[in-house]
Amino acid sequence: MSDLKSIVREKLRDGADAFLCLKNEEGTVLPALITDADSPDLELVEVGDSRYPLGKILIDLLREYPDKRFAVLVRGCDERALVELSKLEQVDLERLVLVGVACSAEEAAACGCLRPYPSDIALGEKVEAAPGREVIDEVESLSDAERMAWWREQFSRCIKCYGCRNICPMCFCKDCALEEPHLVEPGVIPPDFPSFHIIRALDMTGRCIDCGLCEEACPAGIPLRSLYRKMQDIMEDKLEYRAGESAEERSPLSFLGSEQDIEKLEE
Amino acid sequence: MAENIGGDNGDEVRILAFLCNWCSYAGADLAGVSRFQYPTNVLDVRVMCTGTISPYFVIKAFQEGMDGVLIAGCHIGDCHYLKGNYMTAKRFGVLREALKFLGLEEGRLRLEWVSAAEGEKYAEVIRSFTEEVKALGPSPLRKRAKAGVEA
Repeated sequence: MSDLKSIVREKLRDGADAFLCLKNEEGTVLPALITDADSPDLELVEVGDSRYPLGKILIDLLREYPDKRFAVLVRGCDERALVELSKLEQVDLERLVLVGVACSAEEAAACGCLRPYPSDIALGEKVEAAPGREVIDEVESLSDAERMAWWREQFSRCIKCYGCRNICPMCFCKDCALEEPHLVEPGVIPPDFPSFHIIRALDMTGRCIDCGLCEEACPAGIPLRSLYRKMQDIMEDKLEYRAGESAEERSPLSFLGSEQDIEKLEE
Repeated sequence: MAENIGGDNGDEVRILAFLCNWCSYAGADLAGVSRFQYPTNVLDVRVMCTGTISPYFVIKAFQEGMDGVLIAGCHIGDCHYLKGNYMTAKRFGVLREALKFLGLEEGRLRLEWVSAAEGEKYAEVIRSFTEEVKALGPSPLRKRAKAGVEA
């Protein structure tokens, strides 16, 4: 991708101290931090079709180097993650230069997020996609007892690998409730229904930016994305908030708010 | 602890009630001193403010075999900490919908505002909530019930 290469050079020249993106090393895609224009890694950088939660690396980088500026390659989901992480005071957008990549039509259709492009597109063409609602619709067509049986069956495949949490761009806590023995009994597989998965679903409410990496990472094929998507629908329905959309408006679950919000809730 | 609620035979439903120190706990106390009758299926947990109740607590209650969870706090506008119950209302709205999506009946989780003067209301809330939970039967999340269902 000569395009990306020249953008990296340009950003490094224009004041970014490093450029964070992905590189392809003999078929293996890895995160790469390019700090100067002569770096051999520059020959390997590519947009590709792989995704990686670069925001997680940025949280650490920004803390480690408090006086540096970073440019970073972002897809629509990465941008939403950074916006949400900034409101949660995990990244400082002022010190970031976002280089936007729009997902290709094939990628967008396969992934199916609400906005497969960032606000500012440097590479690629903007295409729209329709989020898949099959799982949510299927679950909602069931009775209470059938729903629980359905989810119980799905979650019974969980091997508690923590892959969903580890890949999640929005998971950054030092102490994780999923490792709290009073909530999730250690050494039990599959984890107790429904505590493990409800805890994650609740923590994702008003936070999940629908990148779908959790579901991609899950070795058991649990429809996690649909679960978290439903949580965002609930959040929008009840509290009129969707994670990652506005850079200013914070999740209503992160502050007390006004009496009007509560009155709306009780209607 | 949960096993002892509502007698020893285990047939009775068990309800955990989180009561805020300033309003609902005092309301429950008033129900007691006024000798208003209400079912004994309830185990109270006094918290300083309903705003301190993490959704995890509710999950934990169901996990430990409760059939219903009641959260009772000050009326909106009367919170001892001014806005603690705003958070309760918001969290509750989301939590109940989330549990519903996973298949837990809506009726098992209830939020009520009960002031320190509303002893009769407290007794009535417990009566009607117990009736509702009894109609639903034991929670599908009860570990013992689960073993029975899956066998």
